[in-house]
Amino acid sequence: MRKGNTLTERNVDDLLDKLRGLFADITARDIMIKSVVTLTKDRTMWQAKELMRICKISGVPITDGNSQLEGIVSIEDIIVALEGNHITDPIEKHMTRNLVTFSPEMNLETLIERFNRYRYGRFPVVDSDGKLVGIISKKDIIGAILDKFRLIYVHDNRRREILEQSVDWFDKSLISGDYVEKTSADFVYHIDYTDVDTAGVGSAKLKSYLKTLTDDDTLIRRVSIACYEAEVNVVIHSGSEGYIFAWYDEDVTRVRVEDYGRGIENVEQAMKEGFSTASDHVRELGFGAGMGLPNMRRYSDKMVVVSEAGKGVVLEMHFYRNGRK
Amino acid sequence: MMTLSRIIEILGCEILYCGDEDPEVESVGAADLMSDVLAFGGPGMILVTGLNSPQCVRTASVVGATAVVIIRKRNVPETTIELAKELDMPLVHARMSMYRACGILFNENLGDSLEEGKHID
Repeated sequence: MRKGNTLTERNVDDLLDKLRGLFADITARDIMIKSVVTLTKDRTMWQAKELMRICKISGVPITDGNSQLEGIVSIEDIIVALEGNHITDPIEKHMTRNLVTFSPEMNLETLIERFNRYRYGRFPVVDSDGKLVGIISKKDIIGAILDKFRLIYVHDNRRREILEQSVDWFDKSLISGDYVEKTSADFVYHIDYTDVDTAGVGSAKLKSYLKTLTDDDTLIRRVSIACYEAEVNVVIHSGSEGYIFAWYDEDVTRVRVEDYGRGIENVEQAMKEGFSTASDHVRELGFGAGMGLPNMRRYSDKMVVVSEAGKGVVLEMHFYRNGRK
Repeated sequence: MMTLSRIIEILGCEILYCGDEDPEVESVGAADLMSDVLAFGGPGMILVTGLNSPQCVRTASVVGATAVVIIRKRNVPETTIELAKELDMPLVHARMSMYRACGILFNENLGDSLEEGKHID
C-alpha cells in the first residue's frame, strides 16, 4: 500500500482474474428487475408506445397473459409501425418474435458476452418453462457491479472454500488475501460479551490510541464509529468472546473484528438497513435497529464480512487517510 | 451557538458531571437509537436522549459530541456517571420529556445535528 504500485501486464492479468472470480457468482437472477411491465399480444402497438412513454422504458415484453413470453416490442418496432402507418394494429402482428433470452442461472460473464454479441438494450429472463421472470438492461449490470464493489463480501463458493479451511479464514486478510499477523497488530482488545455495559470500551480505547498517532479527527471518528458498531455486534449477537485488531499506518488504518460465536446466517440480509435479529433487551440499549453493518459500510472505505451460521464472524475494514469524509 | 451552561440553565438540568470548561454547543441531536447517532452525529452537538446506560456516553464520545442530556425522571446509573467522568463527557439530567426539551432548544435556534441527508454518504 505504501509503496506506489505500478501496474505491469502480469499485475493486470492477475487483477482481472481476481475480479472475474469476484463476480463469478453473480447470476441473471441477482441482477434482473423482477417487476416487469408487460402487455398481452391482443393490445395495439399504440398502447405499447404509450406504455413505454409513461414508464420510460425502451422495450415491452409481450406475454400470452399467463407469463409465457411470446415476443417483445422495442422502440424500433414502434418507429417502424409509425412509419408504416400500422400503429393501431394489434401487437401480435408486429412484435419481434425471434428472441434472445437469458436464463436465471446465467453468470455475469455470459450476460456481458451476450450484450456485446447481440447489441440489444435489454434481455428478458425466462425460466425453463418459458415463463418470463425478469428483465435485464445494461444499466442493471452496471448497478450490480457497483454494488459488488461497494461491499465485497465473499459469495457462496468462495465462502465455502474459506470455511472449509477454517484456519485460513481466521488467518488471512479478507481484503488483500495476505496472512494476517495478529501478533504484529498495533492494537489488540479482547471483547467480553458477558457484560453488555462494556460494549464499546474497545472502540473507545482504539480511539484514544489513534489520537496518539494522528491529528486526523475525521479518520479517528470514522474508525471508532465503525469499530463501535462491530464491537456492539459481537457483544449482542455472537454469544462468544471476540477480538479487535488494528494496524495503523500513514495511508491506511486496518481494523479486524473477530468472534467465534453464532455467525450471520444471511450476510446480504444483514447488510440491509433496518434488518435486525436483536432481542428487546438489546434494543433497550439503543442498538439492534439494523443499522450496524450499514453504518460500518458507510464509514469504511473497504469492508468484507465472512460468516456462516455457527462459525463466527470475521469482519475487516480499511480506512484510507483521504477516504470518505 | 450557545454555551453548555446556558443550556443547563434553560432546561433546569441537574449536573451529573461537568468538566472545567464551558464548551460552545452548535447543534442538538435527539435520539434513543445510538446507531442513528453514530450514523448522523458529529462534533459540536449535544446528545439529548432517553437512554441512561453507559452506551449513551460512549456513543457521544465516539462521535465527538460536546455533552449528553438525559431526559425524564429516571435514575441515571452510577456506571453511566462514572464513564462520563472517565471520558470527560459532560452529563446532565433534564427532568422533562424529550419533546419539551427539544422544543426549548429548537426555540433557541440551535441546529439539528441528526438531520437526514447530512451523513457522509
